[in-house]
Amino acid sequence: MFVPATQPVHVEQLVFKGLKQGLTLFVPEKESFVYWLEVLDRQLDQAKGFFQGGAILVELGERQLTPGELAGLKKILAKYRIRIKGFNPVQRKKLNPRPEKQLPASSGVLLIKGTVRNGQRLEHEGDIVVKGDLNPGGELVATGDIIVLGALRGIAHAGAGGNVKAEIIAFTLAPVQLRIAHIFSRAPEGRKGQHGPEIAYIKGEKIVVERL
Amino acid sequence: MAGRVIVVTSGKGGVGKTTTVANIGTGLALRHKKVVMIDADIGLRNLDVVMGLENRIIYDLVDVAEKTCRSVHKALIKDKRLSNLFLLPAAQTRNKDAISPEQMVAIVDELKEEFDYILVDCPAGIERGFDNAVAAATEAIVVTTPEVSAVRDADRIIGLLQDKEIYDPVLILNRLRPDMVRKGDMMDVDDINDILAIKLLGIVPDDEEIIISTNKGEPAVLNNHSKAGEAFRNIVRRMEGEEVPFMSVNGEPGLFGRFLKLLNGK
Repeated sequence: MFVPATQPVHVEQLVFKGLKQGLTLFVPEKESFVYWLEVLDRQLDQAKGFFQGGAILVELGERQLTPGELAGLKKILAKYRIRIKGFNPVQRKKLNPRPEKQLPASSGVLLIKGTVRNGQRLEHEGDIVVKGDLNPGGELVATGDIIVLGALRGIAHAGAGGNVKAEIIAFTLAPVQLRIAHIFSRAPEGRKGQHGPEIAYIKGEKIVVERL
Repeated sequence: MAGRVIVVTSGKGGVGKTTTVANIGTGLALRHKKVVMIDADIGLRNLDVVMGLENRIIYDLVDVAEKTCRSVHKALIKDKRLSNLFLLPAAQTRNKDAISPEQMVAIVDELKEEFDYILVDCPAGIERGFDNAVAAATEAIVVTTPEVSAVRDADRIIGLLQDKEIYDPVLILNRLRPDMVRKGDMMDVDDINDILAIKLLGIVPDDEEIIISTNKGEPAVLNNHSKAGEAFRNIVRRMEGEEVPFMSVNGEPGLFGRFLKLLNGK
């Protein structure tokens, strides 16, 4: 019987490196993100059990993720019970050469390109910046600050985990709900947020909103 | 050249997906394009009724997927008015799990070589039926009505389309009532665009003719006196790359209307 010889197939692999801050996944800037997700899925499937239950950092370089891409990444990692504890440890180091002991390694900025739509929920340990809108039904949860460079119309939870110093900033602030640390607040009925950029923070035991 | 595969979807039910597919399909066929409409709403099929083709169904989408009929062509129903318009009906006695996204891709791949346009009528919802309908599509038309609930669902759908790598869906705003918009009782185009922020393909005014035409099984696009029919003809022209100004929503006569008035000496 004819048996085909196994072809040496060149398969691209993603690199995991052990950095000071923790195990880091490097996603190259070339090719589409969806492409790398497929590579990652295959790779983790082959290395079943190796990463199970761990938390990793993800280095994206200059790449900016859409909400859907981030959800896709989290979904694949969740399949292998891997959690993301932060983004871009390398870039952070470059921007901030002074060693800062008090900040946990995971606090990086997650930059989201495009609108966070109804049904999309993004969680991040650190700050979140959205270059677009947060639509009704969409949710952002950050342990740090949340900045929306557009209209914030959904639910934003800054300082999740208890940071009462966290702030929420939006060019148009018309949220369904604002949450900072343990404090929840509902926007007054009919608030359209047409006052230009505004900032929300905790004063006393309440969330207050001021023009920026 | 391979044809365009466009899914028509909305999330919410009853906003006019099937009516849109029937009208766009017919409108494109009137412009001598070879068009096939696929009803992906297995178990709740309607497109055949709206097209007035119900009594001609022998094989359906599930038969093609399960290879009960010899080829996909066996299941295609030729429209009774236009010879270059075809329908691939859904099965009525099965459910959404009867086909898989992979089977859908295979069926569409076979049709793609032969047709200029493949329009997929997506069921309401975001589960298996949606996955099936979207699987083979490379473009999407999102249909919404000027209601908060429909717009929310449209927003959800746009996010889900992104996950399926359809990044630039276009919007049809259906059943707009200019009189209500003028009084401020209905969301207008700007309100909706504020939330959804995708390209507008067309605005279809609320029109009683649609109900009549649906019941008769004759798409409104064939009726020269229907306002909605005119809107769908414009939509078809935009899909073909023409620049067509949007119907004025505030009830004022557009440029063409004013020109007509001038001619009539009014």
